[in-house]
Amino acid sequence: MEYVLHLFILICFYTMLSQSLNLSAGFAGLISLTHAGFYGIGAYTTAIFSTYYGFSFWPSIPLAMLISGFIAFIVSLIALRTVDDYFIICTLGIQVILFSIMNNWMELTRGPLGIPGIPSIQLFGFSIENKIPFLIFSLFFVVIIWFVLRNITRSGFGKTLTAISEDEIYSQSIGKNVYLSKTVSFTLSAMLAAIPGTFYAHYISYIDPTSFTVNESIFVLSIVIIGGLGNLSGSFFASAFLVLLPEALRFVGMPDNIAANMRQIIYGVILVMVIMTGKHGVTELLLPVRGRFRKQEQPECSE
Amino acid sequence: MQLIFNIIAISFLILLISLSINIKYSCVKFFDLSHAVIITTATYLAYLFISKLSVFYLVSFALAIIGAMLIGMLCELLLYRPMRQRNLPPLAYLIASIGLYIVLQNIISLYFGDDTKVINTAEITVGHQIFGAYITTVQIITICVSVILFIGVNLFLHFTATGKSIRAVSSNPELCNIYGISSNKIILIAFALGSALAAIAGILSAMDTNMTPTFGFNLLLYGVVAMIIGGVGSIRGLLAGSFLVATAQHMAAFYLDTKWMDAVTYIILILFLIWKPLGFSGKRLKKVEV
Repeated sequence: MEYVLHLFILICFYTMLSQSLNLSAGFAGLISLTHAGFYGIGAYTTAIFSTYYGFSFWPSIPLAMLISGFIAFIVSLIALRTVDDYFIICTLGIQVILFSIMNNWMELTRGPLGIPGIPSIQLFGFSIENKIPFLIFSLFFVVIIWFVLRNITRSGFGKTLTAISEDEIYSQSIGKNVYLSKTVSFTLSAMLAAIPGTFYAHYISYIDPTSFTVNESIFVLSIVIIGGLGNLSGSFFASAFLVLLPEALRFVGMPDNIAANMRQIIYGVILVMVIMTGKHGVTELLLPVRGRFRKQEQPECSE
Repeated sequence: MQLIFNIIAISFLILLISLSINIKYSCVKFFDLSHAVIITTATYLAYLFISKLSVFYLVSFALAIIGAMLIGMLCELLLYRPMRQRNLPPLAYLIASIGLYIVLQNIISLYFGDDTKVINTAEITVGHQIFGAYITTVQIITICVSVILFIGVNLFLHFTATGKSIRAVSSNPELCNIYGISSNKIILIAFALGSALAAIAGILSAMDTNMTPTFGFNLLLYGVVAMIIGGVGSIRGLLAGSFLVATAQHMAAFYLDTKWMDAVTYIILILFLIWKPLGFSGKRLKKVEV
């Protein structure tokens, strides 16, 4: 039972992560591989401030968001000068730099030793140590982030982002500030990625750089693509699917050491299939009706 | 002095990798990250032939290179060609190649395990002493092979019909189709050539140090960085780019610490993207202009 709850909590984390990436990757078309880096910045901010300076949970969330957002802003100044392939390679490079800072700056992050002893979340005088309250609490945040992102993407700003990802030059010509919108969406998605980072640090109570590698970034990006670019509920279903998949493999009776590789092989195959057919996510791949549904819906929203 | 020799040896290795990815890139216009797995596959095939089946070294290297060529061609035939026929946006290819990389890398991990492996060709010796610095046999071989291949590929691209077709396809595939050069066929040849070069680079690197299922990815990224710095599509730029990357890495290792090598490589990339997004050669690319 404990383990099932742990899986649900992981699904919550990945939902938050992939939905926040969906804002920049899905809507603004900025396929970024730096997301695990921002996730890690959130986690490290919380870990450092709560263990060294005794910050509690509530101030550390905005603090983590601010730091992550600030770094994302600087990154976007660099990365947004490039487009398409170059953008991906550039963000990949930034991810490697962030990882090597986490791994090598011994004075601040203790490098590969990691930071142990992060206290659990205190809420109205109770400390959330059990899994059930933690799950409810993180579900609460999932709902908030989902709601915020849904409203952002349906607002005029979200429409601008979609327009930019479809035709950059045209949206510039009708007076949209392309560069600013891209910067804002990139920064915003990094700030939102810091929230699951904070949760992760408090939940595991020990963090080390191996949780925030390039592979993690690729994994989050695959969740977004498998769930469908620009499809928030798709991101949720895809993260549930990809977190539960190794458990299903274990259930079939596959040994653990093979299951880890098999999971990656399966998600790689799904990723390639989704991309190859040019569909928006696996939902459209399996249920073509849904795709038509969405297209009918769109004119209503676009005003 | 030792530092200079190390820089030279590494920069020729990076040169070979950036050359191999450049041939692919010039034809298909995207960074094929599954190239990393071709580097890895070749070394693991060589390892398989040498230590498990105990085939003679040169024969097993040749077999490994042929195997890598086949895998590169299969990737193109089964994945990228159908994608081109569907007219997908350019980003889709790069993401597909990431997916392919994940799949193939994990298949290697499954079969060979994640631990470090070594291709030992000879017993370990001190190395040759030249001007007070030590240089190993493998490093000398790397430099020689890389120089020969670099010149050879250049000659091939400029003086043979196939090489000229590759350059033609890289400048305008549609026009080539009109003139009766099948761009699909040429891209397939480019993939085979690129994969073979990557396989040679991988084997040389594995002989010099050692290998894990993921070591190709770092090597490939050094190559890609060297290629972007040098200016995409320029062969002479590759030389400058790979020398710069290798120098920066080893300076960082010497003055700071070896652990900052990767970060320094990417910081150089980012500095170039800020101030000189077109690389040394200054060739304009459509993608950077927008």
